[in-house]
Amino acid sequence: MEYTKEKKVGEGTYAVVYLGTKQSTGRSIAVKEIKSSAFKDGLDMSAIREVKYLQEIQHENVIELVDIFLASENLNLVLEFLPSDLEVIIKDKSILFTPADIKSWMLMTLRGVHHCHRNFILHRDLKPNNLLIAPDGQIKVADFGLARTVPSPHEILTSNVVTRWYRAPELLFGAKHYTSAIDVWSVGVIFAELMLRIPYLPGKSDIDQVEVTFRALGTPTDRDWPDVSSFPAYNKLQMYTPPSREELRRRFIAASENALDYLCGMLTMNPQKRWNTVQCLESEYFKEAPSPTEPSKIKIS
Amino acid sequence: MSSKSDTLLFLSRPFLTKKQILKAQSNNIQDHRAYNQKKLAIIKFLSDICVQLRFPRKTLEAALYFYQRFYLFNKFETELCYTIATSAILLSCKQVETIKKSNEICSISLRLRSVAKVTPEILDNFKKRVCQHELRLLEAISFDYRINNYVHIDEYVIKLGKELAFSQETCYLAWIIAYDVLKTEIILVVPQHTISLAVLKIAHELPNAKSTWPTIRYTTFESDEKSFSEAYFDLLNFYINSFDLCDLKDNMPSGLQSISIDTFIELKKRAGREYGLKNPTDKEVDTDLYLSTQYDTSNVRERRYVLSAKSINSEVASMNQKP
Repeated sequence: MEYTKEKKVGEGTYAVVYLGTKQSTGRSIAVKEIKSSAFKDGLDMSAIREVKYLQEIQHENVIELVDIFLASENLNLVLEFLPSDLEVIIKDKSILFTPADIKSWMLMTLRGVHHCHRNFILHRDLKPNNLLIAPDGQIKVADFGLARTVPSPHEILTSNVVTRWYRAPELLFGAKHYTSAIDVWSVGVIFAELMLRIPYLPGKSDIDQVEVTFRALGTPTDRDWPDVSSFPAYNKLQMYTPPSREELRRRFIAASENALDYLCGMLTMNPQKRWNTVQCLESEYFKEAPSPTEPSKIKIS
Repeated sequence: MSSKSDTLLFLSRPFLTKKQILKAQSNNIQDHRAYNQKKLAIIKFLSDICVQLRFPRKTLEAALYFYQRFYLFNKFETELCYTIATSAILLSCKQVETIKKSNEICSISLRLRSVAKVTPEILDNFKKRVCQHELRLLEAISFDYRINNYVHIDEYVIKLGKELAFSQETCYLAWIIAYDVLKTEIILVVPQHTISLAVLKIAHELPNAKSTWPTIRYTTFESDEKSFSEAYFDLLNFYINSFDLCDLKDNMPSGLQSISIDTFIELKKRAGREYGLKNPTDKEVDTDLYLSTQYDTSNVRERRYVLSAKSINSEVASMNQKP
């Protein structure tokens, strides 16, 4: 056998994850064994998406699909072994990280997300838990179980995507058409969470998420987001004014003016005005001091 | 393909030449005539499912690719082919993101085959059989999702037609011809965008055989002349040899009613010498393990599927470096 499964490290609805070794090279790997008992509608869509998109993408900041194999009539996906993730780092208060470390993580995340978008792939589930960290400090965008190809203009999509706290306003409104801007919103929320070290928009339910999001960032109006009021849910909304610059400064004490611009660019309500990954990557935030920390030099243990 | 004690390693080969296809089929299809007849019935059957569930053409196209690939590596049995076809459409729905519940697909499949009363028990048993074959279908394509992912014939007929500044009428005619493409095996031979180009050429020439096909640098369209020619002649031959089977004759746009088998014979005559992809020699085909070996996989503990020869080579290199 080329791959060994040495230790069970996780179990989800459709797969069990093991740590193992690729025998011929001695490389540590993670094996995701797709559960055959979960085949209610045949092979799970998440598994299909994971294979489909990871086969397309090869990038330093996207998890690598090393191999696919069948053993005992079970489908196994071999992925690169990534020992940690950003959620663990954020929650572990014994780990101290600097603004330069955050900038480095943001840069790597955006590079990975940009690579997906330029290959016409929407991730649709970006959150700290899905930003894995390699032993060399590189961030890897992972879990493509909800990803999909950028749709044709007429295609109807489900708005029931992205983990609640990281859900863009157009999704909260139940939009049937959306773009890669939903991923950028998620990155914006992750950036805020990294600075605050607590979840920025922690809605307790889907309805509460709408309230939490607009209370923090203001309820959008037709003036800055034309026709937003035509969403069916709009009329039930409590109207909040957007936070002033001073309020943002107070909320994000350590953030520079450029960091706030960058944050506001990603958390713009109108998806058409929201920054795309190129605008994010070219922002002044990445050009000003401090420079992003060298990934291998970020101390996370 | 190479084998190593308890591991089999498969290198994906999403496209094969006609000779290679024939060789693979010869291991699994005893009566080619019966297979072809059944295939036409399956196309009708899958088309009906697509109409009922309002699936786009790309869902049908992917399903037929899966179905035909399956019978390159698995014995053809007439009793099972509708189950395989249903499994192929279930998988293609997932592949091209036109998702439907397996229950819905399976019950329509049973209804179309005139199963008198679809009880929950019958449906459940059928669903189980359909789902069981999904992995076999994926094995037949070596889990290679690069095919049928972004590029579909009908969509590229429109995109490339626009790029080449063809009229809407030409693109519409090409879209009708693109349905007939599914009755051939060309989808197993060359990629979909190349087929779209060939279809456009036929649509461009059909109304007026004297019209000239623009000078195209095929590499601009990520294609090549031989593949294009392979698809072009394959389609002409289909219309010449099986005009009665085509859907074009029944769906001819207004003003083109005069098109007949003779029109295609004329087109072929004007096209000159038939050429296409180079076929391997008989010896090469006979010794090609991918096509000729029936593996007993029951004793194999691990079947691995890789997409590029590069990853195999680098693995071999790293194994050789080991002390």
